[in-house]
Amino acid sequence: MQSLRKIFLNKYHDLWGRYYHFKSQSRSYQAKVVGKGLLNLFNSYCAAHLFFDYIGRPSYTGGPSMLPTLAVTNDLVIEDRLSLRFTEISRGDLVTVKSPLDPLRIVCKRIIGLPGDVICVDPTGHLAPSTEHVIVPRGHVWLSGDNFSYSRDSRRYGPVPIALIQGKIRPLRDFTIYRNPVTLAHFEQESIRPAAKGTIL
Amino acid sequence: MPFISLLLRSQLRLLIYAPIPFLIARFYPITKITGRSMQPTINPDENQLWHDFALLDRVSMQARANFKRGDIVTLFSPIDPKRFMVKRVIAKEGDIVETLPPYPHPQVCVPEGHVWVEGDDPYHSDDSNTFGPIPAALIEAKVLFIVWPLSRIGSLQTPSVRHLGRLTRGSPEHRAAVAAVEREKWRESRVIPARW
Repeated sequence: MQSLRKIFLNKYHDLWGRYYHFKSQSRSYQAKVVGKGLLNLFNSYCAAHLFFDYIGRPSYTGGPSMLPTLAVTNDLVIEDRLSLRFTEISRGDLVTVKSPLDPLRIVCKRIIGLPGDVICVDPTGHLAPSTEHVIVPRGHVWLSGDNFSYSRDSRRYGPVPIALIQGKIRPLRDFTIYRNPVTLAHFEQESIRPAAKGTIL
Repeated sequence: MPFISLLLRSQLRLLIYAPIPFLIARFYPITKITGRSMQPTINPDENQLWHDFALLDRVSMQARANFKRGDIVTLFSPIDPKRFMVKRVIAKEGDIVETLPPYPHPQVCVPEGHVWVEGDDPYHSDDSNTFGPIPAALIEAKVLFIVWPLSRIGSLQTPSVRHLGRLTRGSPEHRAAVAAVEREKWRESRVIPARW
């Protein structure tokens, strides 16, 4: 026990002592220690990058386009990339998407329509007449911000390829589990049921 | 036996450095390219008996969207999100392109944030002439050069005039290079760039 304590103190307690010990060593030993430290640092950077790319990452939201759901600034959310590989996207999901207008921008929007759905372009009638409807083409989704009056979304640039979707959003605010608020009650009539996924229209 | 187990244990310790090669393979992947849409630049074998393996550069596309007209890029299909395509960037945002037959309009202005991509073989290619201009965000990586088969190792850039001068006239390489230069001229003649 005594010896363990001695080792621990030697290693972490006396930092000045460690520094002078390091200084007194030969150049080759110093280079070895520094190189190994840098390698470990680079390795942990690589591991973090891979984790953020494939599994998920925390990030802050910005901008007023999702206003009632996500705050204008500094709303901490989790961007979930893993579940996108194993589960299907559905209407009402919050997703992060690479912007079709600027490839370096990542925007957060809500999925309104899946391939084959008939969508009213703009229910508010500002950007298009509210009677105009379109069919979402194969491999695309219809996106919309929650704040209709201040959002650049599919009303502006049309349906967006599914390949642009980066991840699903899991908001952390108030520590509640995010629920999908879209109800599909009016799809119960067989006649207006949306076309099956992957149907060529 | 103890020696082998010792060796194994010392090798297993190296596994903590596994993230480094994985990250390099994510930034600069080597991928097999199938399909004939980029003939004769990529996969020149008519019968598709062998395929080219190419080194891709994801960093310059993902971090700063750094590409120009004439670059060969890989992108996700806008029709099928699982499919991966290799095409050539013909025009960037704001350019005016003369389209090829399947497209309904003779000329098109590429919208903001979009690109016009085409295969080098216009008859066997699903490209912008069928689905129109696509978002530049769909572009995944740039094709740097071919690494396999060994006989085709090298850059994919169009040969320069100096390179043409070095080849013997009439040889197959010279004819291929001249054809590549002519294809590039034809490509560029169909585009009116946004900035002169």
